[in-house]
Order: sequence, then structure tokens, then C-alpha cells
Amino acid sequence: MATMKHGSRFWGKGAHLIGLIALLAFTLFPFYWMVSSSLKDQTDLLASPPVWTFVPTLSHYAEIWQDGKVSGAIINSLIVAGCTTLLAVVLGTPAAYSLARFQFRGKKDLWFWFISNRMISPIVLALPVYLLAQSAGLLDTHLVLILIYLSFCLPIVVWICTDQFRSIPTDIEQAARLDNANQWDIFWRIYLPLGAPGIAVSAIFSFIFSWNELLYALVLTRSDVQTAPVIATSYMSGYELPWGKIMATGTVIVLPVTIFALFVSRHMVRGLTMGASK
Amino acid sequence: MSADISVVLQPPNPPKALTETTAMDFLKIDQVTKKYGDTTVIGGVSLAAREGEFVVFVGPSGCGKSTLLRLVAGLDEVSSGSVHIAGADVTEVPPAARGVSMVFQSYALYPHMTVKQNMSFGLKMIGTTPQEIERRVNDAAAILKLEALMKRRPKELSGGQRQRVAIGRAIVRKPKLFLFDEPLSNLDAELRGEMRVEIARLHQALGVTMVYVTHDQVEAMTLADRIVVLRAGLVEQIGAPSELYDRPVNTFVAGFIGSPRMNFLPMTVAAQHGNRLRLIGPALRTGAIELVLRNNAVLKPGDVVTLGLRPEHIRIGGEAPIALNTQVDYVENLGGNSQAYVRTAGGTALTVQAAGRLVAARGDSMLLTASPEHAYLFDADGRAI
Repeated sequence: MATMKHGSRFWGKGAHLIGLIALLAFTLFPFYWMVSSSLKDQTDLLASPPVWTFVPTLSHYAEIWQDGKVSGAIINSLIVAGCTTLLAVVLGTPAAYSLARFQFRGKKDLWFWFISNRMISPIVLALPVYLLAQSAGLLDTHLVLILIYLSFCLPIVVWICTDQFRSIPTDIEQAARLDNANQWDIFWRIYLPLGAPGIAVSAIFSFIFSWNELLYALVLTRSDVQTAPVIATSYMSGYELPWGKIMATGTVIVLPVTIFALFVSRHMVRGLTMGASK
Repeated sequence: MSADISVVLQPPNPPKALTETTAMDFLKIDQVTKKYGDTTVIGGVSLAAREGEFVVFVGPSGCGKSTLLRLVAGLDEVSSGSVHIAGADVTEVPPAARGVSMVFQSYALYPHMTVKQNMSFGLKMIGTTPQEIERRVNDAAAILKLEALMKRRPKELSGGQRQRVAIGRAIVRKPKLFLFDEPLSNLDAELRGEMRVEIARLHQALGVTMVYVTHDQVEAMTLADRIVVLRAGLVEQIGAPSELYDRPVNTFVAGFIGSPRMNFLPMTVAAQHGNRLRLIGPALRTGAIELVLRNNAVLKPGDVVTLGLRPEHIRIGGEAPIALNTQVDYVENLGGNSQAYVRTAGGTALTVQAAGRLVAARGDSMLLTASPEHAYLFDADGRAI
């Protein structure tokens, strides 16, 4: 009996492991393909059927380095993603605090408005946004991308942080009120430190979204402030498809966010599961 | 043997007027109500506490005792009425300016701060000098034996230690009034007992007025100078613990104060001659008893009244004016004493406490006796008569 139980547990674990490996392979294969393609020469890249063993080359990386466009694009991406994240957190956390703790007229509508922003497909708004940016003279500026990304990231911050702030017991706020803390003290000294995991998660999501966004960056920028994803696609021109350069650029672009995500993954899991259990 | 036994009950003390306050009152709650929409949580409560007094609000869950405490603290606004502390009307005054400290049921410590930071936060907020903060925090830590824990965060502390930190945080602000909202309900039985003694010592040492909310009548009886019994947002009775135990004004207070709770037996009035009441009931071995009323209530034959007997005042066997025939349901042996759950011929369940170990099986007959001075009588509405 005990052996049977032991045996079924073994097979259960085995199936679990195989499932995980399959999922991991499915998720990571595009990354593997991108990185390996960036290291292949032109012949190996276009070989059909594809070659799995090859002599790696850094020639595509040398090409994009000489090009100089990628480093400028990464700086643009850092400015846009950094400013968007900072503004989203600075503006979103007080909004989340008021939604979590205060009763006011139209609270439900405001909350729905924040959520509904995420329901609209970005492509639907691309043309109106372009026309607005053009009439405001903001085309091809960092500011236009920051403002557009902010409209997408602010709901994420408000949504996650409201949930996080709601999970903070009201007794703690009341204890602070008895300790002579005013509303600002309570927000600054109690809610922000205690809401740090949620704030970190929302900041990470905002940064990754702003870093990866392609559609609006493509529509609203021309040359001066092109972000990294735009540069990667810019190599696809006319009849030429320099896959090696595109893949090398892709690898360079995802590297910073991948390292960033690995560092903060513990916080991300904690933030995503918060409120799930007491 | 005579079937009729005449019993004289102790003369009652008239209950204090609930609105009776004096110029010496340190805390005065005057006709306070609290409504949430159409729901009335506190329905016109008036009471007063003298300086240095330990007042306990007690009542079942949902009776409004915590709400009343929060109204005193200023954490909730009163719907009508007023709250006075140390002679000043604080009804419209914000919580921090009322000079009160509160210990919460959940401790409500700041999880991201150390014990020391938790205790000094309030002082920092009012601009106390660092030297003064250091001195007061160290003094409180010494009183509560927290010196070794000052650098720890709340999650690194046990329940009892957290509660001591919460009390320390309240002490350092040197409040005029301490408020405790069920501070021991999250602790295990042993720790609860220890902390109860610590709070009593603290009250003696500081001599500050304390208002304490609990649903545990043992805490109320052991800590209070005066107990306020609440039910459904109204005060049922205010008095010293012994007064509430000896002279409850109704069956609710009689049942709530005392552990195990008082037994209630339905009786029927056979006759009334002046203040003497002849009662009949199926549980009575003698068929009838005669009791003397505490007040000038007038009853007529056939009226239903309730006889109250506390479990600790009932004896098994022996001879006494009140004698009941019962059958055993279940016996619990608690080591030094026993508790028997029995049933009368009329089907009324009773609890009896007995010293030593009781040996009885389900269905055994058990004769219970009680002394008349320990009997309570209530009319059909539950009021003491």
C-alpha cells in the first residue's frame, strides 16, 4: 500500500516536471531563436531546414554598434520608460490611496474609468492620438510618448496600488490618527512603506510596458526620439530583411528588462499574489 | 415535610440612574447616538467615569461597545449627543487632540517599524525632542519589560509581546484617558490571564482613567471598578462587579455576568400575599415554594416568572428550601471541580458546579438544592422583581 502511494507520488511529480519543462520550452524558445539567430552568419540564418549547430559570430553586434542608432534608442527608451514610471507612481499612488480609503461621490465611476482605459485596444486610438499630437506640435518628442504611456500605465498603478492599500488594516491608520499623524503623514509614513510591494510591481509593469511599446512609438516618432523597439523594426526596409541585425538589436533591447525582471521577480510574485491569502 | 417554604430575599439596591453624573466626572458621555444610514448602532447612551476609574464596557458581539469606545476616541463621529473629557467638550475635537491613547484588538502596530519606532512615532508627530522621546520610550520599555525587544519588528514578536508594545505606545504619550478595545481577545488563555494581571498593575501604577471593552465577563469582573453592560446599543446596567453579580436588573445582565451563566427556571405564580409570592413549577421537589419579592411588583395567579440560580450556588443533594429533581445529561470533570449538565422534569437544562470529582452517568437522577438568598426572580419581561 505504502509502495503504491509512493509510486503514484513519484509519477505525479514526474508528470508535473515534464509539464513544467514543456511550458518553459514553449516560453523560452522564441528567446533562444532570437539570441541564436543573432549569433549566426547570413548563410546559417537563411539555411532551410534550419541549422542547430553553428560557429557563433558577433558580426551582427559589431554592425549595430557601428551603426550607433541602437545606443541612442536605448537612451530614448530609458528616458521615456523612466519618466513614465516615475510619473505613474507619483500620480497613481495618491489616487489609489483615495480610492482605497475615502468615500466620495462618483468613486465607482472613477474606478471604472481607470479600468476601462485598459479595455480599449491601443490601435483604435492611434489615429486620434496622432492628430492630437500633431495639432499640439508634440510629434517626435519624448513628452508625447511619456503622456501616452502614462495614460496606459496610470490605471495599472492605480489598480494594483488600490488593492494593496485596501489590504492594509484600517486599525493601523486609526492608530496613526491617534498618534497625531495628519492625512499626508499617514500616506507618506504608513501607506507608502507598507504598500511598497504593490508599488514596486506596478512600477515594474509600467517600465516594461513603456520599454516594449512599439505601436505609438512607431506612429508618433520619426527620427529624433525613436525608442529601441522602433529601431529594431527600422532595419526592415524595402526588399532587405537583415535578420541578423534585427535579432541582435532585439537581444540588446530585451537584456536590460530581463536582468531587471530577474532581480525583482520575487517582488513581482509577491505583488501579484497579494490579497490572495491572509 | 411542608410543601411551602417561605424565603426572604436580600433587599435590593435601586439601580443608579444611567444619566446620573457629577462635577467630578472625568469622562462624560451624554445622550450619545450613532447611526449608519437607517441603522442605529448606539441609541442614546449616557454614562460617566470618575478620574482614575477603570470602567469596562461589556456585552455580546454587535452590542455597540467597540463603537462607543471609538466615539470616545473620536475615530467615529457621534450622530447626536456629546462627549466630555476632563471637563472639556471634545465632541468635535479630532482624535489626537483629545488626549486619549487606544490599544486595539489587532494591536495595530506599524509593521515596517521597530518596537522603538512604534513607540516613538506618536511623540515624533507632536514634535517632542529626541532626548525626551528617548527617556519616555525607555521608561515605558522598563515598565513593560520590552528593553530587549526594541530593535525587533512586530512580526518577530509573540502575541503577548505585541500587545505589550501596543500598550507601551499608548503609555509614552501620557494620555488623560486610556482606551482598550478587546486587547486580549487574540491571545491564548494562559497569556490572557497574565496580561490581565499586567493591565491591572498598570492601572494601579499609572492611576489613569481607563475604559476597557470586552465580551469576556471574567475580564470585566476582575478588572473593573465599574461595569457597563450593553445590549443592542443601549445600556442595560451600570455598577460595580459585585453589584451586577448580586443585583442584576434583568435576565440579560443576570445571564451575562457570571460564569457559567445563570440558570433560569420557568415558574408559575400560584398566589401573592403582599410581598410574598407562592410559585409552582414541575421541577420543584416540593411542588411549590414561597419567595419574598424585592420590590412592590404586583402579580396575579397564572403569571409566568423566572427563577434564577447561579451554577456555583447550587448543591448536589442535601436539604434546602429550594429543591429540584433532575436527570443527568453529561458531566465534565475539570480536575479540581466538576460541571454537571442536567435537565428538569419540565425539560429545562441547568448547569451545576461541584467541588471535587463527580461520578454520574447519563440518565441518573440528581437532587439539586439551593439556598434562598442566592435565588433571583424575574417577571415575564425579564425584569428583576
